[in-house]
Amino acid sequence: MRILPFFIIGVALVALAALPGCTTVNTVERAQPIAQRQMVDDKRIVTDSSLNRRVQIVGVNQSNGAGGLLKVQVEVLNTTRSLQHFNYKFEWFDESGTVIGTPTSAFLPRQLEGKESMFLTATAPTAIAKDFRLKLLQDLR
Amino acid sequence: MNPLIFMKLLRKTSWLLLPVCAPLCFIGCATPQATRVDSAGGRSLTTVRGINMQDWNDAADTMINSLRENFINAGKLQAPEGKPALLAISRIVNNTGTQIDTDLLVKKIQIALSRTDKVVTSTTIGVGGVADVIAEEEKRRARLLGVEPSRPNYTLSGKIIEQTARAGNVREASYVFQLSLTKIPEGVAAWEEERTITKQGTRGSVGVW
Repeated sequence: MRILPFFIIGVALVALAALPGCTTVNTVERAQPIAQRQMVDDKRIVTDSSLNRRVQIVGVNQSNGAGGLLKVQVEVLNTTRSLQHFNYKFEWFDESGTVIGTPTSAFLPRQLEGKESMFLTATAPTAIAKDFRLKLLQDLR
Repeated sequence: MNPLIFMKLLRKTSWLLLPVCAPLCFIGCATPQATRVDSAGGRSLTTVRGINMQDWNDAADTMINSLRENFINAGKLQAPEGKPALLAISRIVNNTGTQIDTDLLVKKIQIALSRTDKVVTSTTIGVGGVADVIAEEEKRRARLLGVEPSRPNYTLSGKIIEQTARAGNVREASYVFQLSLTKIPEGVAAWEEERTITKQGTRGSVGVW
């Protein structure tokens, strides 16, 4: 009976050692950025709260190029200290809200190191695309 | 707890475990069935060796986004007055160890460009055979009647390269997709892009190598 607490502690230590190593990303940037992002008010529908806790959307901004195509940039952040895999997909809509099909309208896999942020960018498939939607999905494999 | 009391208790309550354990027996008996998966979804198979559907989608998405952002949206596309630019598909070199159909990449780019209404693709100019033989024949007839066919404003060429590495049981394969858009007749690259997809796995993993 005296051995039991030591056995539990031993098992816990082995389990901790077996956990994957946590690697986080350090960053540096200009304290007063020159670039001013045109931020977009966004509406978020969260059905996978676990993914939402791990990979969070920091902000959404957009711009228009000379070619008249809308460009969207979404910043995502891995809030955990370990590597996170996820999939994302952009959908585009015209003025009437009808979805615009594209040949690459597919979920694309991405990975983020611990505490790393990343910009997911997409340029509208045509000039008639006025709205967008970003879908985030946890790694299915 | 006394082992004898524990055994008596287990004997009396063992029938309660039957409804829990019975379905577990059937799981092993189920025969594997083929299922359709969305090729645009995240459930398609990924292997280290070979370019999978997700890799083609990823590479094509990178190329199309770059073309739209750095070439079309940047105002660099030069087209005849009031007309879309004409694009001809040149050689896409396969430098991988496996036979692949480069149309899995190129066709997606063609479709995406045609949807912008700023670029059209020629189906009668091509390397190693044209895409549409009848259209090519009609174009030849029209030329005999004195109608000069349109010349391409741009050509798309590229290369797919494979690089493999191995360390112990871990295997890695990188696929590099390189594309160039050349302005005709100047012959200078108007746009270029590269996307590398790297995959890792162990030999023992099911469906990985």
